[in-house]
Amino acid sequence: MTSVPAAAPPAIVATALTKSYGPSVALAGVDFRVTPGESVAIMGASGSGKTTLLHCLAGIITPDSGSVSLATATGPLEITTLDEAGRSRLRREAFGFVFQQGLLLPELTAIENVALPLMLTGTDRRAAEQTAAMWLAALGLAGYETRRIGQLSGGQAQRVAIARAQTTGAAVVFADEPTGALDSQTSAEVMDALIRSTTDRGRSLVVVTHDETVAARCLRVLRLADGRIVDEVSAR
Amino acid sequence: MTTLRLAWLFGRRSVSARSTVILPVVAFAVVTALLLIVAGGAQAFFSWTDDIAGLYQVLAVIALSLLVVPLVALGGSAARLSARRRDDRLASLRLLGATPALVTALTVIESTVLALVGAITGALVALLVSPLVALIPFRGEPLGMSILLSPLWVAVAVAGIGALAAVSAVVGLRGVTLSPLGVRTRQQAPRVHWVRVLITVGVVALVAVAMTALRAVADVGIVMVVLAVGFGGSIAVLNLIGPWVLRLVASGQARRARTARRLLAARAVLESPKAAWRQVSGVAMTSFMAVFAGVGVALMDAAGDSGDPQSRLLVADIRTGVLITIIASFLMVACSAGVNQAAAILDRRDLYVSLDRIGMPVAEMNAARSRAILSPLRVTAIGSAVTAAVVVLPLTGMSLLLSPLTLVTVAACLAAGVLLVWAALRATRPVLTRVLAEPSPSL
Repeated sequence: MTSVPAAAPPAIVATALTKSYGPSVALAGVDFRVTPGESVAIMGASGSGKTTLLHCLAGIITPDSGSVSLATATGPLEITTLDEAGRSRLRREAFGFVFQQGLLLPELTAIENVALPLMLTGTDRRAAEQTAAMWLAALGLAGYETRRIGQLSGGQAQRVAIARAQTTGAAVVFADEPTGALDSQTSAEVMDALIRSTTDRGRSLVVVTHDETVAARCLRVLRLADGRIVDEVSAR
Repeated sequence: MTTLRLAWLFGRRSVSARSTVILPVVAFAVVTALLLIVAGGAQAFFSWTDDIAGLYQVLAVIALSLLVVPLVALGGSAARLSARRRDDRLASLRLLGATPALVTALTVIESTVLALVGAITGALVALLVSPLVALIPFRGEPLGMSILLSPLWVAVAVAGIGALAAVSAVVGLRGVTLSPLGVRTRQQAPRVHWVRVLITVGVVALVAVAMTALRAVADVGIVMVVLAVGFGGSIAVLNLIGPWVLRLVASGQARRARTARRLLAARAVLESPKAAWRQVSGVAMTSFMAVFAGVGVALMDAAGDSGDPQSRLLVADIRTGVLITIIASFLMVACSAGVNQAAAILDRRDLYVSLDRIGMPVAEMNAARSRAILSPLRVTAIGSAVTAAVVVLPLTGMSLLLSPLTLVTVAACLAAGVLLVWAALRATRPVLTRVLAEPSPSL
């Protein structure tokens, strides 16, 4: 585990988040913060609200009440007040995502998958693929650039997904069960890659997981139950 | 009995997924309505008994046969969509221990019911518009109500559409069962063999030579046979070479793509050139025919001025018939493209949700989807028109082929077709919006 400066200003601060789906309460007043270079694991049983929290923090959904503030070069940005296009742009430019099954495009090659988020920000394909190649190499996938996703193992595909989450220089990377579909050995390798490419480079990492060994790799572990944080353990 | 009860429960609950129910029903309604209208027209032709009736009947059979390919393609697409949208529930049923036979039976029942609802709607539409169709003039007077098919033939058509849906549902379900693994384990994009090119060039050259020789043949019967074989042979080889050409063009586009939408569209075509071809192959045929029609119209326009009244009527009638066939064909291709796209969105909903999560604007996704259809459509329309021109050239000469009237007819046909398909693609946007608004719980 890496240590972070205690006084680092938070990358994301969320306060009093609530979210309900009909009669079902997913979040019942959650406070959250993550600083640059910090990793936070969010744990809890199914239905405890952990994925809803991650979605609120990442601007995928808007909470019913509460605020989510992102530190930017021009000052704090309130995510909850942005419209869909604004949140989409934020996800494209400021955040990176790693999903359980990778959710890579099978018809694209590894390098095209990794370059895609950069191309979406308007970067020329050649420049985007140069950056993508650099990230693939950094994650031990040099020589795999032109492979299609079907030609990669589960662990390799997940490292491609991690590389994809890094290309835009995202300040915060969100990972939803990033090792859920992998065996323990591959899972450890993928977490190594994820930590190495995020917190080791001063980026924030927010991981939703069921896996205690994955959570143990993070600096802080939050446990949710019934939409509330019921436990918080810091490694520091 | 249990199967029927389950099918009823599934059908009732699926009301929420409106667009995925409406699309196949509309598609089947269009198929049935067009089929009945064209068949009704043909029936009217067959009620004539004079000397020239035979020629009209041959033309009617040609028009009907031209509509068979897009009709089967559309019926198949609609059935596959209604089968695929059940994917999740069917998978759950399988987990709960339902036998493959029960799962297949449920799919077939649901798809057939949707098809029958569409077919009956289509039959009603055909009946409603029949007074208008009856006004279409042939041989100088309106067709009249002799276009109305007997209830028995309408019932046969509706049952036939239902049977087509049932068969396609079985095939479509097999696709659903295989597709997740198929995508995950697929290592190389499928390749299309270049031998197809050699065969195509050979056949087109042969047909062109036959057409040249035709100028010296006086027997009308031989001319008709050679024309029919040449026409059919050219269309058959278009189907052979189509996927190969689409793959070649898409390879170049994938290499040159500078933007995400262009790259995604080109890769989508490369993933399955045959599937891309299937979506637009109806246009190949129509586009091919548009050239024949264009030349025919120009030829008859020139001959019509000096011809006798009966010849002038024949010219006008062929023009009307060609126009109706082209419109019907494009309508079916457009419906087919829309239905296929809706199925594709549902098949890959997790992927679209993930693209939305990483910040890909919905407009960009829609642009990539449209491009993946419209680019092959352009290639197909132009390629088929050029092939037709090569075949027709020896028969008519360059001046007629390049006459303004020919070019305008061909261009208008192609533009109308592309516009229709574009409109059908736009109609599938709500499906994507809905998928993004209601992602599966695992996402």
